[in-house]
Amino acid sequence: MTRPEAAVQALSDPFRLSPGREASLRSRLIARDEAALAELIRVASPWLLGLAQSMLSDREESEEVVLDSFRIAWQKIGTLPTDHEQRLLPWLFRIVRNRAIDRLRARRRHRSKVERVRAFDPAGDGVAAVEPDESGQPGWHVHRTVHGALAALPEEQRAAIQLAYFQGLSQSEVAAQLGIPLGTVKTRLRLAFDKLRGALHPLRDWLA
Amino acid sequence: MTSHDWFVDQRAAFATRTLDPGDERLFADHLARCPECRAAVAAVERELGWLPMAVDPVVPSPEFLARALARTTGRSRWTRWETWVPLAVAAGVVLAAGLAVRNASDRADRLDRALARSRDALAALSDSVAILKRAAKILQASIEMDHHQGGLVIFADSASHRWNVVFHGLPPAPAGEKYQLWFITSDGMLRSVELAPNGQGPVFVALAMPGGVAKILGASLSMEPSDNATNHPRGKELAHLML
Repeated sequence: MTRPEAAVQALSDPFRLSPGREASLRSRLIARDEAALAELIRVASPWLLGLAQSMLSDREESEEVVLDSFRIAWQKIGTLPTDHEQRLLPWLFRIVRNRAIDRLRARRRHRSKVERVRAFDPAGDGVAAVEPDESGQPGWHVHRTVHGALAALPEEQRAAIQLAYFQGLSQSEVAAQLGIPLGTVKTRLRLAFDKLRGALHPLRDWLA
Repeated sequence: MTSHDWFVDQRAAFATRTLDPGDERLFADHLARCPECRAAVAAVERELGWLPMAVDPVVPSPEFLARALARTTGRSRWTRWETWVPLAVAAGVVLAAGLAVRNASDRADRLDRALARSRDALAALSDSVAILKRAAKILQASIEMDHHQGGLVIFADSASHRWNVVFHGLPPAPAGEKYQLWFITSDGMLRSVELAPNGQGPVFVALAMPGGVAKILGASLSMEPSDNATNHPRGKELAHLML
């Protein structure tokens, strides 16, 4: 058993959904049950807002993106594949990331974004340390596992992931930011994503 | 470099939208024609689906959950309440005052009483809106009874320890019975208020948390015999909500 897999199984979380419960939540959402919607919003909002804020660096705009994403999800929940390969929260993450990236590109904010992250320190891990007293947050054990997978990356790969994935910069912008060739950025990102796919594989069975 | 190897190398970058916009368009064109890459991109999306959870969660603002529910379901009236309800009541007060002044001499007493009632109504509505704005938790249950579809929604303000309760969609209680709301506490059940719909619209109630109780854990709604004035539910439970 790999370390992340052991971590996921060792930690109990009262908010973890069983397969039956996620199926029930999906069915209720498709049936337009607003209680199910309220449950989804309550559990997912902190993580979706965290992602949007990481990318947009603007609280108000992040809230708008997340609000819009819930509206899209509510409209399209019936199109979500029912084979349990597609989990609810990762699906929501993708909607939020796409909306945030669209905003960054459409408003031509990359230039100012690059300015804002100029102080970024690639030696740091870019993600705040996990505090044990925050373990009551739903999904916290997944946060710990993903955080550990990122921390295990070589420093230069972690820096590329931090800028490209979590701050929404394109590969060319990452290259400019780090002062390295574009090809090197592509290689670092590919290697990092390959490692993360392996490290996060056990989470495929985690539900929400 | 546009051979298939390039697309294989960039699958993860495309799936995570980290490609430059020009390369992203090139990849998207290719994806439409390549089932192998489509399947591979879908696999990467699944495998990296939890990666965003590396970020620290952000605690939503107190009104965010209510806004999200309203925006998502298209019920913008929840947010418009904040402005139009007090304004409408205030306008009503002004109108009532204007009409009353025309017959001031013989209606002074009634005007005073109307103004007092309007002020009370305005204060109550402002109070309700304040709870809605601060609600940190929203509990909701659907209730089906005798072919009626209704529900119970509780906006819980943990800062002031008060709830705004909305009960909707159900007919008046049958003769000899009542809709009874209960607090579920760490010390057991505690009788709260009777909810009495008139069949015309929702019932709104603002509740303060009872004193002398260790902890409020949730709420329950039941159909009780009218004469049950104890802290022991005897009727059928219609909703059970835990904080």
